[in-house]
Amino acid sequence: MICLKRKLVSPYIDCELSVEERDLFESHINECRECAGEIKRLQKMHELFADAETFKAPHGFSTRVLANIREKETKRFGGFVHILAKSAEGVVVLILIFVGIILGSFLSKTLMSEKGNLVASLSLDIFTPAPPDSVGGVYLAMTEAKNEK
Amino acid sequence: MYKADALDLINRFKDGDTSAFEEILLKYQDKVYNLCRHMLGNSHDAEDAAQDVFLKAYQNLNRFKPEASLLTWLYRIAINTCIDYRRKPFFESLFKNSKEGDVFVVDHPSDSPSPEKLYESKKISNAIQLALGRLSEKLRTVIVLKEVEGLSYEEISEVLDVSIGTVKSRISRAREELKELLINFREQK
Repeated sequence: MICLKRKLVSPYIDCELSVEERDLFESHINECRECAGEIKRLQKMHELFADAETFKAPHGFSTRVLANIREKETKRFGGFVHILAKSAEGVVVLILIFVGIILGSFLSKTLMSEKGNLVASLSLDIFTPAPPDSVGGVYLAMTEAKNEK
Repeated sequence: MYKADALDLINRFKDGDTSAFEEILLKYQDKVYNLCRHMLGNSHDAEDAAQDVFLKAYQNLNRFKPEASLLTWLYRIAINTCIDYRRKPFFESLFKNSKEGDVFVVDHPSDSPSPEKLYESKKISNAIQLALGRLSEKLRTVIVLKEVEGLSYEEISEVLDVSIGTVKSRISRAREELKELLINFREQK
């Protein structure tokens, strides 16, 4: 049968029990061979870890990390410049459209103030009728006579 | 004192002094690499993961909250990065574990008093690596933080953002499994 206090073995060897818990457990170990044996086994394992290699960062590790960071930062900056250039292009196009609209409205206003009503200036009413004895008048008279027939 | 030093470095970094990050890197590189090495079991992935850890730290250091410990914060990034690395597609690891890569990366034991001791230490290390590799992700993480990095239960609960009770039970379970996996070595001692 497994001792119910066996779960205290791990925190005991890690010194994670309170003073009272530790005192109680230590008096228990004196009577429980199972827990005492388990402590020995786990302590041996703990020693194995202590005897194992501790790995240090390889030579040049920090240099490689810093180079990697610089590379990533440059890429990020490059991306930022690209976005900035594209935005600038868009702004220039918008400015050109805006200037075109302003210029167009300004020019049409100038034209109207110079010649009065622009629509009226394009009307056929501005033409004077052709005199009856002129070539145009003779042609018009002939055309009308033909249409009446 | 230790926390004050770390805070000073972080404040200098936030003020635009990038040399402060170099100091952080030099101060913690061995601890982070050692953790990654034990979590991943090979030097190639460990170096890649440790590099990623510091890159993430650089990009997020401005958001670091001074009430936390810098080392705990780095360990948290390292654990998450290692978990991501272990979930990488199999063929990627296969590609990275080529023998050519082994030539470039050398692990240095912290103390090697004699060749015999070094050999023994290497043998134990290999056995531990094999055993750790057979544990579940959760159990491997707690046992590495406890046995390899020497963190307290409270620090582990901060790194993993779980309760101390959870840490306690996971460590007990991990030791229970490791005990069986390392039985031959334990008996030799």
